[in-house]
Amino acid sequence: MWDALIITPFINTLLFIYNIVGQNFGIAIILFTLLIRVITHPLMVRQIKGAQAMQELQKNEKWLKIQEKYKGDREKLAQEQMALYKELGINPFASCLPTLIQLPIIFGLYQAIISALASTPLDLLRLIRHIYPGLLQVESLIPLNSRFLWMDLGQPERLFIPGLSFGIPVLVVVVVITTYIQGKLIATPSANPKDQTAAMSNMMNLYMPIFMGYLAYTLASGLALYFVASNLIGILQYAMLGKVNWGNVFPFLNKQPAAAGSGGKKSYSK
Amino acid sequence: MDTYTKRSMKNSKILLIALFLLGGVLLASCGAPLSGSSWPGVSSNGDTVYVAYMQHVYAVRAADGSMIWRFPEKAGRQMFFAAPVLADDQLLVGDYENVLHSLDPNTGVEKWLFAQAQADWIASPLVVGDVILAPNADHFLYALSKNGSLLWKFETGRALWAQPVSDGETVYQASMDHKVYAINIRDGQKLWSVDVGGAVIYSPALDAEEGTLYLTTLARNLMAINTRDGSIRWQRKFEGGMWTQPALKDGRLYLGDLQGMVYAISAADGTEVWSQKVDQPVTGKAAVLDSRVVFPTEDGSLIAMSLEGERLWSRTFEGKLYTGPVVIGDRLAVGIAGGKEFLKMVSLDGQDLWTFVPPK
Repeated sequence: MWDALIITPFINTLLFIYNIVGQNFGIAIILFTLLIRVITHPLMVRQIKGAQAMQELQKNEKWLKIQEKYKGDREKLAQEQMALYKELGINPFASCLPTLIQLPIIFGLYQAIISALASTPLDLLRLIRHIYPGLLQVESLIPLNSRFLWMDLGQPERLFIPGLSFGIPVLVVVVVITTYIQGKLIATPSANPKDQTAAMSNMMNLYMPIFMGYLAYTLASGLALYFVASNLIGILQYAMLGKVNWGNVFPFLNKQPAAAGSGGKKSYSK
Repeated sequence: MDTYTKRSMKNSKILLIALFLLGGVLLASCGAPLSGSSWPGVSSNGDTVYVAYMQHVYAVRAADGSMIWRFPEKAGRQMFFAAPVLADDQLLVGDYENVLHSLDPNTGVEKWLFAQAQADWIASPLVVGDVILAPNADHFLYALSKNGSLLWKFETGRALWAQPVSDGETVYQASMDHKVYAINIRDGQKLWSVDVGGAVIYSPALDAEEGTLYLTTLARNLMAINTRDGSIRWQRKFEGGMWTQPALKDGRLYLGDLQGMVYAISAADGTEVWSQKVDQPVTGKAAVLDSRVVFPTEDGSLIAMSLEGERLWSRTFEGKLYTGPVVIGDRLAVGIAGGKEFLKMVSLDGQDLWTFVPPK
């Protein structure tokens, strides 16, 4: 079911793109990531709106009073919170649901890239069985050209420079930096020290780049390329929606509130 | 910060760590070479069965299935799948960490290793006289001396997954780049190459007397190639994809396809002698004996037929068969992928003789 609905169509789309861009798998990964991000863009917009509503709730006076009033009674606090959601017309799942819908797509994208790279015989046998014969010809397609720039997309990436006895994981550095920048740019700072969402976001911003960097260091560089493409496209999407806080990455912009933030939005310092 | 907030923060941290761990396991499991990457590689010298599977290479007594040694003793990062090759006083086996090992076949002690390749050793090496010919997925065929020093290397366009074959003077290497190369063993110089129209996964069959190579391609072709100049003698297109090499015996080629058909083909001109439906994808080289041919199928079955295509017996193992049985006298050693057991010995009529159980 999962294979038929997600993996097989994804693999065929990826390989179709690979074929029409002159059998360049690196370009195919970038374009395929872009395509998926464009298709899931409406979900992302809904997710942002839902998250924004929840964020604004943290500053709501009524909510602050309720928190203060029922701070010793968790059950009553939860009841009042739900009542307030209803009153303000907030759906607490509005930000989670689009994310949940996107998750299988992201995993499918990841699995499609891994499957298409097929670096062992059994992987290749599985890949051949995924290919729609009416759309693609196995004989001309296999083996895929996994070379892109200095990388073999089926192997972890290292750049070897003459004179150095070890390879430099350039793409890993790019993954860490872009993941960190994306996290910082899209974070909406909160003035409320009790804001759990902001605290969680801070932790994510710290651990996520390290985690993604570790994956990029150990897994096939085709995935690291996907991480970079996905991060950059994500930043672009948020920028187009006017939701990036440049002041989070460039603190000097916070000193000029009128000019700070994309779309004229004010940035907060934490 | 009040207690409620602190507790919530603590829960959030736990949730975050759990999500990272889950994500890490999910993502890493897709990239790491697990048991699903390949199948057991089996070989034998008659007394001992050597099997490479997952994290070890095992030497097993052919008589009773007891273990003689395993390499390495403690599992490490290395993964072994290519069938070990016995050459006089050494056993050669490559791993998926780019290293080719030479082991003492009696003790499993490592004699030397070759670590200059850049990718997995998917195919087994071939030993011709004093030269070890080892194909690697980094596109190179490496020629080594018996002590592991590099003599020459030959570059092809793509990964090498097929074991080479040789007539003693020339080595014939099929590549994923859709070509077959003839290379002089002495100096590594190319004699000829021929485009066969599709990637070649499996080793060709060589009839040195006739001067013909027989091979299958991912373009669903069975081809006969003249070893003298690389010209194609004949080719035959099949309905189903081919995931096997042809087995040659007495002027016939025996093979099956992924649509569940098995064939006997005339080696002289590629015409069909007989065909039978077995209803399961045939994945791996058939074992040809004096009076029968045994086909492995993906559902874990061995199907024995007479040389004229009459079905004799079949039996099914738990797991999948991606490699043909290895004939050891009047027995068959079977490597099984993805099952509880990965090495079994059966009689020529398919009865269990022993099952190898590696000690913990």
